[in-house]
Parts: sequence; structure tokens; C-alpha cells
Amino acid sequence: MATDVSEKQAEADWRVGLSDDQLKDILYKLKLCRYFDERIEALYRQGRLPGAIYSGRGQEGTHVGVAYPLGGDDSLFVTHRDLSAQFTKGLDLNRVMAQFWGRIDGYTRGRDGNSHVGDWNGKRTWTPVSHLPLAYPVACGAALAYKRRGEARVALAICGEGATSNGRWHESLNVSAVHRLPVVWVVNNNQWAYSTPNPLEFAVPTVAERAAAYGFPGVRVDGADVLEVYRVSLNAVERARSGEGPTLIESVSLRWRGHAGHDPAKYVPKETLDEYMQHKDPVKRFEELLLTHQVVDAEAVKGIQERIESEFDRGYEFAQASPFPVPSDVTKGLWVEDGYWQSEPSREGGTG
Amino acid sequence: MATSLVETGAAGHGAEPRGKRTEAGEATYLIAIAEALWEEMERDERVYLLGEDIGAYGGAFKVTEGFIERFGPERVMDTPIAEETIVGMAVGSAMEGFRPVAEFQYADFMTSGFDEIVTAAARYHYRSGVPLPIVLRAPSGGGVRASSFHSTNPEPWFAHAPGLKVICPAFPADAKGLLKSAVRDDNPCVFLEHKWIYRRIKEVMPDDPDLLVPIGSAKVQREGNDVSIITVGAMVHHALEAAENLSQKGVSVEVVDLRTIHPLDGETVLRSVEKTSRAFVLYESHRFLGVGAEVAAMIAEEGFAHLDAPVVRLAPPNVPVPFSPPLEDAYLPQVADIEAAVEKLSAW
Repeated sequence: MATDVSEKQAEADWRVGLSDDQLKDILYKLKLCRYFDERIEALYRQGRLPGAIYSGRGQEGTHVGVAYPLGGDDSLFVTHRDLSAQFTKGLDLNRVMAQFWGRIDGYTRGRDGNSHVGDWNGKRTWTPVSHLPLAYPVACGAALAYKRRGEARVALAICGEGATSNGRWHESLNVSAVHRLPVVWVVNNNQWAYSTPNPLEFAVPTVAERAAAYGFPGVRVDGADVLEVYRVSLNAVERARSGEGPTLIESVSLRWRGHAGHDPAKYVPKETLDEYMQHKDPVKRFEELLLTHQVVDAEAVKGIQERIESEFDRGYEFAQASPFPVPSDVTKGLWVEDGYWQSEPSREGGTG
Repeated sequence: MATSLVETGAAGHGAEPRGKRTEAGEATYLIAIAEALWEEMERDERVYLLGEDIGAYGGAFKVTEGFIERFGPERVMDTPIAEETIVGMAVGSAMEGFRPVAEFQYADFMTSGFDEIVTAAARYHYRSGVPLPIVLRAPSGGGVRASSFHSTNPEPWFAHAPGLKVICPAFPADAKGLLKSAVRDDNPCVFLEHKWIYRRIKEVMPDDPDLLVPIGSAKVQREGNDVSIITVGAMVHHALEAAENLSQKGVSVEVVDLRTIHPLDGETVLRSVEKTSRAFVLYESHRFLGVGAEVAAMIAEEGFAHLDAPVVRLAPPNVPVPFSPPLEDAYLPQVADIEAAVEKLSAW
């Protein structure tokens, strides 16, 4: 009998309380983010995509894991590298694709590009600003609003480890502790801030231990293990929701691609890249885990992949068919009272 | 652990700012601003204040003296010295339905929160359609021997960041009516309170708590026929003094108070220039690319046909605000300088 109990416990433990459907959903999201990132880069390199790209490849375990515990009313404050976290929160693939091509159906109606996308009124995600971590202080404000109204809601903010060198990162952590705000601070430590490695960004061994200086817990987690990231994030979200204040999560992975599309990232040692791609791939690792536990079989994995590819193709077609914004609307939408954002925009911009 | 607050009823504390008017019903510019904040907080519980030392201490200039006793520490929120985060919190709480009013101790310290103001707040609505009803209040301007880091006129910086309304009132009633408009506005507003005016200028205030002054509207503060002085902030008072002196010499000066820098009320300016045919632009931000540079260019482009003389500008040189009294006086346009320049222009 004792064996049965511990087996049941072990079964319950590995899945962190998630149902089969939820586990399959996580696999779908991981694979969607990976596929989107790869296809977008291919289109960029073929010269078929205007603007820039900021790959989050290799960090899907962090992005999906931290965002998955959030409810619809919880807010997510991201950088332009965290599109995978926004997909996890439910952003619409078609509208994201329209955004990448500067079309009117993009979330910013062509006023911003690529992963500088957000959906505040829908999925409660911030439209990122390139200057980092500018969303950290803003997350304090959203969390303050929840606290003031006594709402059981949480703000979760993500930045890279490079942004922890910036003053406002420290300001935000300090203010969130002083006012005991319901916020979760995530640092996506992908080991390279553009070309700068961890030792040139901070002199402490980990980002997580800096939390002690502000008076709340810090946790370091392996970003290749999406369920472990999920578990840590869930605990932090519940802690914030119950009024116990902030938590700092450092999730460690590797940025597989350059800072942006133009950057070959030759500064990353080949052995490190090989190690991560072969042994610390969060998508592959989770897929194997679900196969081992027979939550999915090879046929089901194939089905998920086919669904993703067809969704991407539909998104691409949607984006190409969406009109450009009309040039005469360039000054509209600056002031709330001009009504631009409260009305349907012109669709006369053509798709040429 | 409840912080011990100043007792209600102690001198100047816990009382509505209207109680601080003179017997004749006059309020200083500072009291007028306090009245606006108090009334808007009474009217709308979404309005709250945040900033450094604004609670029990009542703010660096005592604008919020007595507020914490009435509204409590949540709505009169003392923050750490963290300007980026003060602005960021205003942005985030506005996104979640509040209407924050953040106080800077001096406008100079807005640079410490600059990125959140111009990069995040100013551009956010254009990029996302999400309104940010926030007000950033700050004491600006020179003339009080406060030297380089407590005398700044930052209005051109913010007027050059599309998406911010920039308001610079010169009179108590305008300050009150414009601040109330700013609190009710759905866009981010930078509200610059000229500290030279705070306790110098007072006037009888209207009693209607819904009396608003529209943002983006200039006002002719003195009618005249010979020369238009287009100005803003403390310089309005210098211009009015110069105008009075010049009237003794037979020069009739019209004084246009911009009141708002962005959006700029070009129509009122051009109407005045059409009437006087001479434009004199007086301002306290640096001459080079300052507020008056845009006004002068606008007049040259759109009002050229009205002009009988070139547009003249008077503004501080392009150096930091100096401390030593003779230096600061040389830096700031003085009444005598204004009179001399206007006389020259009127004789053109």
C-alpha cells in the first residue's frame, strides 16, 4: 500500500498538479513559440519581412512556464524578447502576424512593429518599450491598483539579466517591497545581454540572491524545465495573490540566436550553444517527458505540429491580406479625444 | 505599524485649502493648486497623489499640507526617492483605472524620471490605444536664487515628446482651472507650476468646483494695439509690469499668455499679431530651441502678412541657470529689458 501511495505521489509531483489537457496545451504552446520563431527568422532572412526580429528561441521554457499560471485578469509586462510569454497569455496569432507586416489588423495598427506588441484591453499584456526594464516600474503601478482595490490580481514582469544592471530595476524591486505589492519579478537570464556575458553585468553569482537585499525571496530555476519554471511561478503568483508581496525568479537558459536578426552571435562559445541545443532544449525535453509518461504519443505530437504549421500559414495569409494603414492617418491616435482608437480605422491602405 | 500623523486641527493641517484664502477671498497660486487637487480628490475617488514627502510633511512647497489627514496615506502616497518608479506607478495604475497625480519636488528632477515620461508614457496611447490619464506636477522656473538644479524650465523637452500636454499657468485661477482640466483629461499631462509665482501672486477665486480652464487655450491678459508680447509663466507678470510702464510712455502693449505649451493655441497668437502687427516673444526656457522659437517660427510662417516688423525674441542665453544674484538677473529677462526691447520694436 505504501508503495502505491508514493507512486501516486510521484505521479502527482512530476505533473505539478496539471491535467493531461493542460500538459498538452503547454506542449502546444512551446512548439508554437518555437515554430513561430523559426519561421519568422526564415522569412526575415529571405527579405520577406520588414523591420527587425528579436528571437526568444531556447527560452520558451521560461516564457511559457512563468506566464502559464496567470489568470485572464492578471497582467503581464514584457520585453520585445518575450513574445512567447504573450502567446502563452493568449495573443491572437493572426493579429501578431499582421503586426509584423505593419498592417492595420496588427495590435498597434502599424504604429509599432514586430514583437513590440501587446493587448492590454484583451489579454492584459503590455506593449513593450525597447528601453529596459521600463515595464518594471509600470508593473508596480498595476500591482498597486490591485492592492488598493483589494483585488486578488497579480502583475508579472519579465526582463533580461542585462536590464538588472539598470537603476530602475532596483527602484522597482525596492518600491514593490516597501509597499508589499502583488507582483512577480522574472529575470530571463539567457546569459548574454546583446554580447555582454553575466560576469560583465553583475559581480554576484546569481541574480536571484539580489532579492535578499530588498527583503523578499529570490528563486533560481532551470529554464530548460518548463514544469519547474511553472511550479516556481505558480508559487510566486499565489504568494503575491495572497498579499505576501513580491518574489524574484531568475530563470536560466541560453539565447540560441543573436540579440536581433542581424547579429550572428559569434561571441557565444560553440560548445555552450551545442550543449544547450542538444541537452537543454526546453521544447524537446518536455515533449520527451510527455511521451515517457504517455500523456501523448508520436501521433499526437505530429498532430500538434501539423496544427501549428497550418495556423502559421493561415496567419501569414491573414497578414498579407490585411491592408496597410492609410498614410493620412499618421497623426491620428496621439490624443485620446481624436477618437482614432475608439473607432474602426480606414481599410483603404491597400496590401501592395 | 501605523505611522503617527500630524493631528487634525493643528495649524494648517487637516483643513480644506479654501480655508487658507484671504478674508477677501483671494488665493495664492499655491493655494489655488491645492484647492484644485483637494476638490478633484473629493469629486473622484480614482484620483490619488504620489510623490516624495507629500504625506505628513505636506510636500517640498507644502502644496499637499493637510491632505493626508483628509484622504489618508493610500491616496496621498509617500514614495521612496525613485522618480522612474513614481512615473511608472502612475502609468501602471492609470492603465488599471486610477487617475494618479504625481508630484516632483522640483521640475529639475523630472530628468530622473525622464525615460518613463517621454519613452513610455508619452508614446503609449499612439502605439496601443490605451489612455493614460496621469498628471505630473512640478515646480519649475527661476528667479528665486535656487541655482542650476532647482530653477529649470523643462517645457520644451516635454513639448518635444509627442503625446504629452504641457501646461504652464501664470495666474491662480488659471492654475486651478487648468489643473482640474488636467486631472479630468485622459492624456498624460505635464503641469509646471512656476515657483516664483507660488506665493507672490494671488487673486479672488471663483467658487464653482466645476469651473475648468480648457487645455490648449491662450488668453489675452492685457489688451493693446502697438505690440503683442507672447509669453508664458512668470514672464507673463514681467510682461504685464512692462506693459503698464510702457503705457505711461504712450506704447500700447497686448500681453498674450499661452497658458498651455502643447497643444499650442496658434489662433489666439495670430489674432493678436494681426491686430498689433508687431510680435515680441518672451520666454524663460533657453532662447535656443526654446518655446518661443516655435512661436516665432509659427508667426513667421502663418502671420507674415500681418507683420510690420521682424519677430523679436527675448529669452535666457544658452547656459545653465546661475546662482549669484547679478548673474541670475543677467540670465533672466528683466522688466527693463522687456521695456527697452518693446520700445525698439514699436519704433521699427
